[in-house]
Amino acid sequence: MDDQNYILFEAYLSDELSKDEIIAFETRLKTESEFHQAFETYKELSSFLEHKFENEAASHAFQKNLNKISEAHFNKVEETVGSKGTTKTYTLMKYLVAACVVVLFGIFSLNQFSSPTYGDYADYNQISLTVRGANSKLLQTAENAFNTKDFAKAEEAFSRLIAEDETNSELKLYSAISNIELNNFETADGLLEDLRRGNSAFKHKATWYLALSKLKQDNETACFEILKTIPEDAEDYEKAQKLIKKLD
Amino acid sequence: MSEKKIHEDQKYIDGLLKNNAFIIQSIYDKHVPKVINYIKQNSGSADEAKDVVQDTLITIYNQASEKKLQLTCPFDAYFFLLCKRKWLNVLKKSSHKEVTINEEVLSKGDEAQELAFETSVFGEKQALFTEMFNKLGTACKDLLTATFKIKSMEEVAKSLGVSYAYARKKKSLCIGKLTELVQGSPKFNHISNEF
Repeated sequence: MDDQNYILFEAYLSDELSKDEIIAFETRLKTESEFHQAFETYKELSSFLEHKFENEAASHAFQKNLNKISEAHFNKVEETVGSKGTTKTYTLMKYLVAACVVVLFGIFSLNQFSSPTYGDYADYNQISLTVRGANSKLLQTAENAFNTKDFAKAEEAFSRLIAEDETNSELKLYSAISNIELNNFETADGLLEDLRRGNSAFKHKATWYLALSKLKQDNETACFEILKTIPEDAEDYEKAQKLIKKLD
Repeated sequence: MSEKKIHEDQKYIDGLLKNNAFIIQSIYDKHVPKVINYIKQNSGSADEAKDVVQDTLITIYNQASEKKLQLTCPFDAYFFLLCKRKWLNVLKKSSHKEVTINEEVLSKGDEAQELAFETSVFGEKQALFTEMFNKLGTACKDLLTATFKIKSMEEVAKSLGVSYAYARKKKSLCIGKLTELVQGSPKFNHISNEF
């Protein structure tokens, strides 16, 4: 290849050609395969050299560190091999330990890597609505039904109660949870959205359950977005963060 | 490459790049034992495994730093394939005969296979470039070293006691010379033909 071409390569790479020269150069790249190949190699070599000299110090430091860790690792391996007592009990123990590790790892990884489900997180406890005085029969029914997981009955009671007391946020929350359980997502999400936008004590709880509702609907993106809105001071913040990590 | 999802194991690549001892250590703890076993089972020693592992990590480091390597598959598969390939090359060189490779069946679109292949080619090229650079005459070597270390061509010219124009021209010609050495090497054709 003509020396002139290398001078041209350098000028092209350092952006020193005029518009017309660039067009002419790029035409040659397309039409002359030898020219093209030489240019590609030239370019690659420039990048190689640039990197080689620029990163010399960092690269040395890396190799030194690597060497140290490698030595330590291989010495340790040799030692264990060297001092290996070959009694049968020892070998048996080794297999037992290995088996335990495998089992533990299996359990661990099942927990870690299975995708999260609604059931894993919906951990509402027994509710108690009747302790505060006005012990209506309906309230009692709602509470019992909810606590015995008869959500259809609970929901029926809750909606009647809400009709009587439209501003009761707590009832709305439990009604929403019952609806999630019954897969009436539209009703549930509507109730939770209202609570979430409001200012009641159940604002963040509602946000948390709205996220879980999305999770049950397999809408992980929506779930993720909603979880991110739960503030640090909310009761469910930590659970939300854990779930975010799993979804991410 | 950019539209592919980066694997979470990119942390290993980033850790190597930052010379993070903790990450390097965890690679040795988690991923190296498998390689040692493989090499020992295929007529190698622990010492040879040590070299293969170290060379492979340096290649990954270089590719990460020069080409912004992005991992789109698990590190374990990628690293193992790379080490295995390197070891088979060592065997080929020492025995001068074709080594039969028990390749696992991997589909053509296998991400780890592709990425390991890319890194292997990168590593082979680096080795060839280094070898050819050392074959250059002293004048070219000095000039190129100065050029890429100092960056400003004016200062390079001054330090070498030549004119600016001459230094510039010489730089092109020296890389040109290197281009010819590389292209003329049988290894270069070998690497290119692998594509």
